[in-house]
Amino acid sequence: MKKLPFLILLSCFTGLLSAQSSSFLLYSFKGNVSVVEKNVESKAKVGKMLNNAGSVKVANGSAVTLICNEAAMFTITKPGTYPLNKFGDSCKISNSSVSANYVKYVWAQMTQSTGSPGSNRKAYMNTVGAVSRGDINNVWIDPRLDTVNYSGGEDFPLSWKSYADAKEFEFFLYSSDNISEPFYKATVSKLKIPVGDFEKKMKPGNTYYWTAAVKGEENDDLKVFNYVNNSTYSQIVEVIRNQGAAFEAPAEQAYRIAFMLEDAHYLAEAYQYYLKAATVDPANVLYRSTLMSFKKDYEIK
Amino acid sequence: MKKPLHKHIGQGVRNARNHFTKYLYERDTIFATIWVFLFIVILGSIPLNLGIMNPIKLGLKDFDFNDISYSELGKGNNNPIDSHIVIINISDSDRGKLSFIIEKTASMNPKVIGLDALFFGPKDALTDSLLRQSFRKHKNLVAAAKYEEDSNRSLVLSMNHFLNDAARSGYVNFPNKALETTRYFFPVKKTGDTIFPFFATSILQLYDEDCYHKLVKKGDTKVMINYSRNLTPIRKQYQVLDVEQLLADQIDSSAIQGKIALLGYINESPDFIEDKKFTPMNEKFAGKSIPDMNGIVVHANILSMALEKNYIKKLPSWGSWLFAFLVCWLHMSFFIRYYLENHIWFHLVAKIAQVLSAILFVGLGIHLFDEYRLKVDMKISLIAIIMAVDVIYFYEAWATWMHKKYNYRTVFKPHHH
Repeated sequence: MKKLPFLILLSCFTGLLSAQSSSFLLYSFKGNVSVVEKNVESKAKVGKMLNNAGSVKVANGSAVTLICNEAAMFTITKPGTYPLNKFGDSCKISNSSVSANYVKYVWAQMTQSTGSPGSNRKAYMNTVGAVSRGDINNVWIDPRLDTVNYSGGEDFPLSWKSYADAKEFEFFLYSSDNISEPFYKATVSKLKIPVGDFEKKMKPGNTYYWTAAVKGEENDDLKVFNYVNNSTYSQIVEVIRNQGAAFEAPAEQAYRIAFMLEDAHYLAEAYQYYLKAATVDPANVLYRSTLMSFKKDYEIK
Repeated sequence: MKKPLHKHIGQGVRNARNHFTKYLYERDTIFATIWVFLFIVILGSIPLNLGIMNPIKLGLKDFDFNDISYSELGKGNNNPIDSHIVIINISDSDRGKLSFIIEKTASMNPKVIGLDALFFGPKDALTDSLLRQSFRKHKNLVAAAKYEEDSNRSLVLSMNHFLNDAARSGYVNFPNKALETTRYFFPVKKTGDTIFPFFATSILQLYDEDCYHKLVKKGDTKVMINYSRNLTPIRKQYQVLDVEQLLADQIDSSAIQGKIALLGYINESPDFIEDKKFTPMNEKFAGKSIPDMNGIVVHANILSMALEKNYIKKLPSWGSWLFAFLVCWLHMSFFIRYYLENHIWFHLVAKIAQVLSAILFVGLGIHLFDEYRLKVDMKISLIAIIMAVDVIYFYEAWATWMHKKYNYRTVFKPHHH
């Protein structure tokens, strides 16, 4: 019986602890953000401490970063009104000790497989691209797209990433004899453009240059786009096809050709072969996961 | 009759202990251990720098096992934001704008302002005059400078055109080369009767007398920096204020009032390496990497360490050597037992023991560093364990020769394998 009051006290204490209010530090914001405290709305100010009775209002295109209990950081980017008492989960931080992490780290390192070229295409795809120097731009184009060989017919996106919170981007296509003035320009809202959008502007057997920039800005980082003749591409595929083992299953052959085409920067064509491998042998986890990984890398939806 | 389980376990423990201790007090074990350390000392004393031929040595020159705890084990990840310090990003502001930033910051009543910027010579007369006024007006403003040796080999503070206008100053030199990891700083530098304070030391003098005296007591000696916080796109452990927001009144005064306001250059993008230093918090703990932390954040870490009084204690070198000797002695006893009694397994067991010991002792070092802020140099212990196996062969030959010549008593028999 003596245990009962102790248990009641313990549960009350635990309840009190869980009900304890969290404090939120308004770490940074951009755009139009306001805070509501005691039904009074005011403009957000960096460094302001808020308790969980308050709320933050985020306008369209704005963002706010909060730090809960001086440790857990989270950012709100979607427009709306957010009562802070709803962010209890965001205040939690993991508390694993360094020593425990050391044991996990050693174990992970010792049991980590180095893999083989076929099972880890990114680790072995060693013809990625060149280093570029110059002004740092708001748009970053993956070095994997440094040179793209294309034989036509298959659609494939040229993609990029943006450091700026921009809504519109410009795509520029240059011919090899005039890299100062683009012969094709397009404004897009996404961070990619399908090759099909400008394929008809190009002629097979020619080299072109392309880049992308935040609308109104410039980007000197030009990438190479080789529009290859069908006959040239057929010869390359034939050479690759003949390099296979004597007994090669259709899915195995498709996967190998895809891998070697990707290495040779025939990305649109490699995609078709990765797709074929995964379709012919749908039970093969490697083919499926490689296809997914390829689609993710090159922003294929 | 079948033995009960606890007797099986007891027997197993006795056998295992026997593996380590059977030869522990043998003269040969102790002498072989001494030979290991003689070799370490002799090889370490060779005046030729053979390291140039050794890529591993070159690669690990600036390596510290404890760096793993930051880069891979999440040390410091959960440390709360330091509420004593606020960093104001001055970006690439010119002298005129800096003057406005100082005035705006001072209007929010920080306890101390530290300006981590060097000013080489005069520039535009108007902006120079504005900045000079700011330096003269605010007695709680600490200016940055660098110490250099003059022609008399005395230290002088330089590289700040406004040094004579500032009420206080502190040097921002670190005792490492530009491409080495920033691990240490000198709280003060003494030259003759003059004492120059470090940038953080000067700031502490105005902010917290007690912490200041504790730091100054360490004198003109290298103090190891206990990095606890970082600024990355995913870790914000110092409040950073954008200068445009500061000037546009978008900062709550409580963010600065009564705090240490550090004015310096910040860029969290890993692509910008201007004013960045290599620190133990670098994502790569070994091999080629890029600098990871802005200088002002290094100063902030030093201030956090001093304010929280969590200095790193270093085990003296004699302690590290003694620890290494005991570890090597234990291993030697274990190795000799296999060498003499199960030689067929000797190399396999020795290699496994070396790997396991390396993992164990590195882990022990990391645990002591993380839990007790005690830095133990485990490198000597690891070198001793690695050398122990090879020294056994040398020792066997030496003991056998001594046995023949001087009837030296040894457990090693001539050509026993």
